[in-house]
Amino acid sequence: MTKVSAVAIVRETVLAMLAERGHRGAISDHDSLFFSGKLDSMAATEVLMLLEREIGIDLADADFDITQLDTLAQIEALIGEHA
Amino acid sequence: MPEQDFNLALPFARQTVFSPESVMLAVAGREYTYGQLGQEVAHLAGALAPRLQSRRVGILATRSLEAYVGILAACWAGAAYVPLNLKWPEERLVALLQGLELDALVVDENGAALLTPAVLEAAPDLVVLPAGLAKEAARPGQSVIERTALETAPLPGPAQVRADAVGYIIFTSGTTGMPKGVMISAGSLDHYIAQSRFWTRYTADDRIGEACDVTFDLTVHNLFLCVEAGASLHVMSQLELMAPARFIRSHELTVWMSVPTVIGLMRKSGALKPGVFPSLRMSIFCGEPLPVGAAQAWAAAAPNGRVENIYGPTECTVVCMRQTLTEPPVVTPSRGILAIGEPYPTMEVAILDEKQQPVAPGMPGEIALCGPQVGLGYFGQPELTADRFRLLDGRRWYLTGDLGSCDADGVFHHLGRVDNQVKVKGNRIELEEVDMHLRRAAGSELVATVAWPVAYGSAEGLVSFVAGSEREPEAIREAMLESLPRYMVPGAVHPLEALPQNVNGKVDRRALVAMLDSGRMAEGATAPETVA
Repeated sequence: MTKVSAVAIVRETVLAMLAERGHRGAISDHDSLFFSGKLDSMAATEVLMLLEREIGIDLADADFDITQLDTLAQIEALIGEHA
Repeated sequence: MPEQDFNLALPFARQTVFSPESVMLAVAGREYTYGQLGQEVAHLAGALAPRLQSRRVGILATRSLEAYVGILAACWAGAAYVPLNLKWPEERLVALLQGLELDALVVDENGAALLTPAVLEAAPDLVVLPAGLAKEAARPGQSVIERTALETAPLPGPAQVRADAVGYIIFTSGTTGMPKGVMISAGSLDHYIAQSRFWTRYTADDRIGEACDVTFDLTVHNLFLCVEAGASLHVMSQLELMAPARFIRSHELTVWMSVPTVIGLMRKSGALKPGVFPSLRMSIFCGEPLPVGAAQAWAAAAPNGRVENIYGPTECTVVCMRQTLTEPPVVTPSRGILAIGEPYPTMEVAILDEKQQPVAPGMPGEIALCGPQVGLGYFGQPELTADRFRLLDGRRWYLTGDLGSCDADGVFHHLGRVDNQVKVKGNRIELEEVDMHLRRAAGSELVATVAWPVAYGSAEGLVSFVAGSEREPEAIREAMLESLPRYMVPGAVHPLEALPQNVNGKVDRRALVAMLDSGRMAEGATAPETVA
């Protein structure tokens, strides 16, 4: 999986989940997705599974910091580090 | 002799005097001491106290400073606190606000996002927002104000509260299409704390993890036992709960409490390695069956602590039974789960048949509970209260709807449900409630929902069946999302020609489960979504 397509897939998934949960209006790359309550724990699970599959993030790492996945910019930075 | 005071905030008030410098709360990346929180709580309580009529203060907030200041201020002012779920859709929030007749509503940032014109219209005369937010009042006489801008004088000490006053109201799934509000008295909570104190033994050195929303009564245990001990409470965000290892390690938690589903998530990702949590001295699991393998895997990850399995319905003040993980473990053999153990010394447990008579020793029956932790009943629902809270031989019992048995050693076992209530990842759900909304969404009477798939007695999702509906399954699911929180909406809706019936002519839910188990629904149907 290339970096560019992983970014595109995650972005598309996040935007689709926002739309499905009735979020209206634009979302910036730095808007909080999860702490703000825009997305719930089910959406978080989906994003994690996607990242595991696409770029092989290691959820088994006991020091994996999930709080660094709260915005699109953060998620894309993480993909950048792995891909 | 002065009457004993049962104000739930008394132990907190004591800590603000004796250990003002100690950290009480770590939430959203910040820490607050008992002293700081004492000032904020007394300030908000000063605005609440003169307004009390119904004595109910709503908390539309969770996992935030506002949630905890709101809860403690409601208690301090002498009111009952009523957490409202941020996952509830607008329609449900409006209906509950209309019924509750709150004196005030305390809201955090995420809660404020739910204050649509309709919700605000149904909200009480005082709505307290976090600093920096502004909203227009919905009507004359309503005050929607930042907490920090309240100009009332602080209430210097907690107000006098009687043992029989409502301490809190926590909502659980109901069969009528709306959740039911369980009312617990200040006196019942006092008994609960007294009985939980001796086995938890929290001290000022404890660092207690908070994994739950304040709408779940495990937070009652954590908050009130924490402040009594002068310990600190470390609140996780929803996101952190998805991969909690780092949180437990970086906060050096000494106490962990959650639903067992969290163990499953961590085992699946490979994060639950032996020895990974050296700081934990006690891990408590509650809310759904605890598989023995999961309990043992957690115990290996937390080698310096012990694992406790606790059981009890919200209706009897958090929990009232406990089983420690031992070697060998005390197992409920038919289910591969840890037993629910023995009752708190002040609580009595009986196993009853359909006529509320005790069954023969060792036989299965409905678990019934009696004692000082039995709740006051359901808010605004006297008939439902009378149905579940019964006078038997002159004493008040709560019928749990849980199936259980007592073995020759006096250890109790949980065997499932006697009705259609299920637990999906720790959320208590009445299948009838889901079906009510499903009927409306499908425009058909012929509907049924089952919990599926099920592992160790814990459901992983809901699947619905509909006959005689002209609507598309996806459209039905979307319509249900308007009136139900997401965790109550089925992952899949399957159209059928007819629903299978049992001998009594009732929908045969077992046959539906069998269809799913055999994979017969696979063709042309969407797989149920994973629910977390």
